[in-house]
Amino acid sequence: MLKNRFLADKRKITKAAIYAFLLIILLLLPKLGISIYYVHILIGVFLYIIMTSSLRLINLSGQVSLGHAGLMCVGAYTSAIISKNLDWTPWLTIPIGALVTFIIAFLVAIPFSRLRGLYFTMVSLFFGMAVLAINEVFEKITGGQSGMVGIQRLFGVSKIPYYYFCLALMIVCLFIMHRLEFSRIGLTWKAVAQSHSVASSTGINEARQRIICFAIGGFFAGLVGAVYAHYYVVLSVTTFGFFTSIYIFIYMMVGGINSFYGPIIGTTVLLLIQPLFHNVIREKYIPFIFAGVLLIVLYLLPKGLFGLPEQLRLWTRKLRREEKTALQEEVIHRAPRN
Amino acid sequence: MLLEISKLTKTFGGLTAVNQFEMTVEEGNIVGLIGPNGAGKTTIFNLVTGVIRPDSGTIVFDDKNITGKSPHSIAAWGIGRTFQLTPLFADFTTLENVSASAYLHSRSNFWRTLFNTQAYCRNEAHALEKSNQILDLVGLSEVKNELAKNLPHGYQKMLGMARALAVQPKLLMLDEPLGGMNASEITFTMEIMKKMRQEGMTILVIEHNMQILDLCDHVVAINFGQKICDGCVADVTHHPEVIKAYLGE
Amino acid sequence: MDVALVCTVNGIVLSAIYIMVALGFALLLSIMGIFNFAHGAIYMVGAFITYGLAKTIGINQWVALFISMAVMGGFGLFLEKFCFRPFGGKVFEVIVMSVAIILVLETTVVVTIGGSNRALPAFIPGTIKFGVVSVSIDRIIILIIGAILLVALTLLIQKSMIGQQMLAVAQDRESAALQGININRTAAIATAVACILATLSGSFMSSLYYLGPFIGDGMLMKAIEVVILSGIGSLGGILAGGLIIGFMDAFLPVYLPNPLVAQAITIGVIIGILLIRPKGLFGHEVS
Repeated sequence: MLKNRFLADKRKITKAAIYAFLLIILLLLPKLGISIYYVHILIGVFLYIIMTSSLRLINLSGQVSLGHAGLMCVGAYTSAIISKNLDWTPWLTIPIGALVTFIIAFLVAIPFSRLRGLYFTMVSLFFGMAVLAINEVFEKITGGQSGMVGIQRLFGVSKIPYYYFCLALMIVCLFIMHRLEFSRIGLTWKAVAQSHSVASSTGINEARQRIICFAIGGFFAGLVGAVYAHYYVVLSVTTFGFFTSIYIFIYMMVGGINSFYGPIIGTTVLLLIQPLFHNVIREKYIPFIFAGVLLIVLYLLPKGLFGLPEQLRLWTRKLRREEKTALQEEVIHRAPRN
Repeated sequence: MLLEISKLTKTFGGLTAVNQFEMTVEEGNIVGLIGPNGAGKTTIFNLVTGVIRPDSGTIVFDDKNITGKSPHSIAAWGIGRTFQLTPLFADFTTLENVSASAYLHSRSNFWRTLFNTQAYCRNEAHALEKSNQILDLVGLSEVKNELAKNLPHGYQKMLGMARALAVQPKLLMLDEPLGGMNASEITFTMEIMKKMRQEGMTILVIEHNMQILDLCDHVVAINFGQKICDGCVADVTHHPEVIKAYLGE
Repeated sequence: MDVALVCTVNGIVLSAIYIMVALGFALLLSIMGIFNFAHGAIYMVGAFITYGLAKTIGINQWVALFISMAVMGGFGLFLEKFCFRPFGGKVFEVIVMSVAIILVLETTVVVTIGGSNRALPAFIPGTIKFGVVSVSIDRIIILIIGAILLVALTLLIQKSMIGQQMLAVAQDRESAALQGININRTAAIATAVACILATLSGSFMSSLYYLGPFIGDGMLMKAIEVVILSGIGSLGGILAGGLIIGFMDAFLPVYLPNPLVAQAITIGVIIGILLIRPKGLFGHEVS
C-alpha cells in the first residue's frame, strides 16, 4: 500500500519536474538566440496545439468534426472585421471573436445534434465548406478570395511579445481543457460518447451535452482564429479550408486520440517537419517525409506517438523474450546427454 | 399508485407491438411483468421510459403525465432502468460507471466545476461516497477499478443495476436482471431486490426466470402485446391463457 | 434558348462527371464506412497516366484511357488490401492513411512531371452544330458514355450478384458476413470500381478543361458535396444529388450576373435540404 503511494507521488513529482523543465526552456528560447524564423514557427505551433486539443475536446463527447477550421475562420474574420471597421482594439475584438464563434458553434450544433457518427462528420465537413462559401459571398466585407490585409496588430512589429502571449494563452487554454476533461463535465461527455441510451437513462440530456461540448470546442477555435488574425495580419480563405481541418484532425490522430497529451505531441512533431527539413532536402520532397511519419505511426504505433514509450517497451520485451528462448535452447543443446 | 399505464398502444409498421395495455404499480411493491419472447415487454419498458413514443394511451408516474417525454426527464422524475442486453459505459471502470450515472445528484454548475470550488469538491465527494455504497450493496466493490468491458457477464448485469440505482429512483425498472446468471448470482440478486423493497423502493421487473415470482407482490402477464392476466402470483401461474402462452396448447 | 441548350448539355456533362466521382467516394463510404479522401488524388493520377501514355508515348488516347483504367483498378485492389484492410474499417485511421496517400501521389506527380497545368487533347476533336449552337463532340461523347455507364452501373449493382453483395454489406456488414458474403472481396472490388470511375472521369474532365497535380482537390470537394446532399447509404441517390449539383453548377453561373450569388444559392439549397432531411435526400442508417 505504502509502496503504491510512494510510486504515485514519485510519478507526480516527475511529471511536475518535466513540466517545469519544458516551461523554462520555452520561456528562455527567444533569449537563447533562436532565429526569428523559429520563433514564428513556434507561435504557429502554440496556436495549433490549442486548435488540435479543442478538436479532441469535441471528440470526448463522441463527435468527430472535420470542419474545425471553419470555426477558426469565424473567429478570425469576426475579430478582423470589427477591429478594422469599428477601429476597436484587438484586445477587445479577440474575446468578441471567440464569443461569437461560441454562439455560432452552439447554434449550428443544435440541428447537428440530431446526427451521429459518420453523418455528423459529413455535415461537419459541409459546415467547413459552407463557412468558406458564405465568406466569399460577403466579399465586400471579408475580401472574399483576395482576403483581408492590414489588420491591426496585437502588439508591435516584433514577434517576441506574440511568442510569450501565445505561450501563455496555450498554457491557460490547455489548463482549462484539462480541467474540463477530468471533471464531472468530462465524465458526462465521455459517458455520452460511449452510449447515448444509457446516458439518457441516467438523466443526462445527451443532445444538449453534445451541443455544449461542440460550442466550447468552437470557443477555443474562435479564440485561436482571432489571435491568428492579429498576428499574421493577413487573412485569406484558403488558410481555413478543408485541408486545414483535415490536418488538425491528423495532428490529433498522430499524437494519439486517447490521451490528453496526444494533440500536443502530434501537433508539435508534424508542424516541425517542414522547418526542420527545409534546409536539409529540397522543399518539394518534404511532403514525402510528412507522409512517411503518418505511415510509420499508422502501421507501427496504433496508439499514436503518445504510445511510443509503451510500444517500445513491448518490443524490447519481445526481443528479450526471444533472446531468452534462444539462450534456453542453446543451454539445452549444450547440456551433456546422459 | 406510483405508476399507472392506461390504454397504451404502439404499432411498428404493420405490427401492433403493444395493444391497449393497462397496468398499475403500487408503491413499495415488486411487480413482475412476464410473457414469452416477443410479447412486447421491453417495448412497454421503452414506452414508459421515453425511449419510444406511444401511438396512444397515457402513462402517469408519481401523479405526473410522463407520456412521450424524453428519457432524461423521466429519469430526473425518478425512474431508473436497466437494459436487457446490458449496455454499459464499456471503457469506464466499474466505479466510473456508477459515478457517471450519479449525474442527477451531483450537479454543480459549470463554473463551480471549472474552478474546482469547495462546493464542487463536496458534491463530488458525496457522489463518490454514494457510488461506493451502491457498489458495496451489489457486491462489486472488489472490482471497482476494473474496466466494465472486462467484467464477467453476471457482474456486468449487477453493474447495470448499480447504474440504475445511482439515479436514486423511486421506481426501478429491471429488464431481465437474472438473465444468464448462475444459481448463486440469482439468489444474491433476489436478496438485493428484497432489501431494496424493504427500504421503500418500488420495482417493476421483466423476467423469464420463474423464480422471480417468489418475490413479486403482483404479476402481469402479456402475450402479443396484450395483457392476458393480472393478479397475485397464484392466480397468474394457474391461469389457462398464461400456461398456453408458455407451453402451447 | 441557345444558351439554355448549351447549359443543359454542360449540366448533363458536369452531372455525369460529378456522379461518377461521387459514386466512387460513396461506394467506399457506404460499403466500407470509410472516408477515402485520396479519391481526388486518384482521379488526378488516373488522368495523368492517360495523358502520359497518350501524349508522351504516343498511344491512341482511347487505348491510353483503358490502360489507365486497368492500372488504377489494380491500384485500387492494392489500396484495399494493404492500406484499408489492415485498419479494419476504423474510420479515423483510414482518414490519416488517405491523406498520406494524397501526399505521396501529389508529390510524386509534382516531382516527376512538374507542377504546372497542361491540357489533355480532346478525345474526339471537333464540334457539332445544333442550329446556331456549337457543342464540342467531346462533350457529347462524355455525355453518352457517362449516361450509358451510369445506367449500366445501376443495373449491375441492382441485378448482379456482386452488386447485391455490395448492397448487402452497405446495409449491414455483420449480417452480410454471416450470410457468407466475402467482405474483403466485396471491398476490393468496390475500391477497384471506385478507382476506375475516378480515372474515367478524370481523363474526360482533363480533356475538357485542364490537367494539373491539384485538380483532385476541387473534385474531392464536389464529390463530398454530392454525397452530403444525397446521403450515405444510398447509391441510387447519388444520381439525384449529382444531377442537382451538376445542373446548378452549369446554369447558375451563366444566368446570374454575380458568380457569388450562384455560390450562395448552391450552398443555401444544400443547407435547406439538410435542415429538412439531415441525413441527406436519400440517406439511411448505416451500421
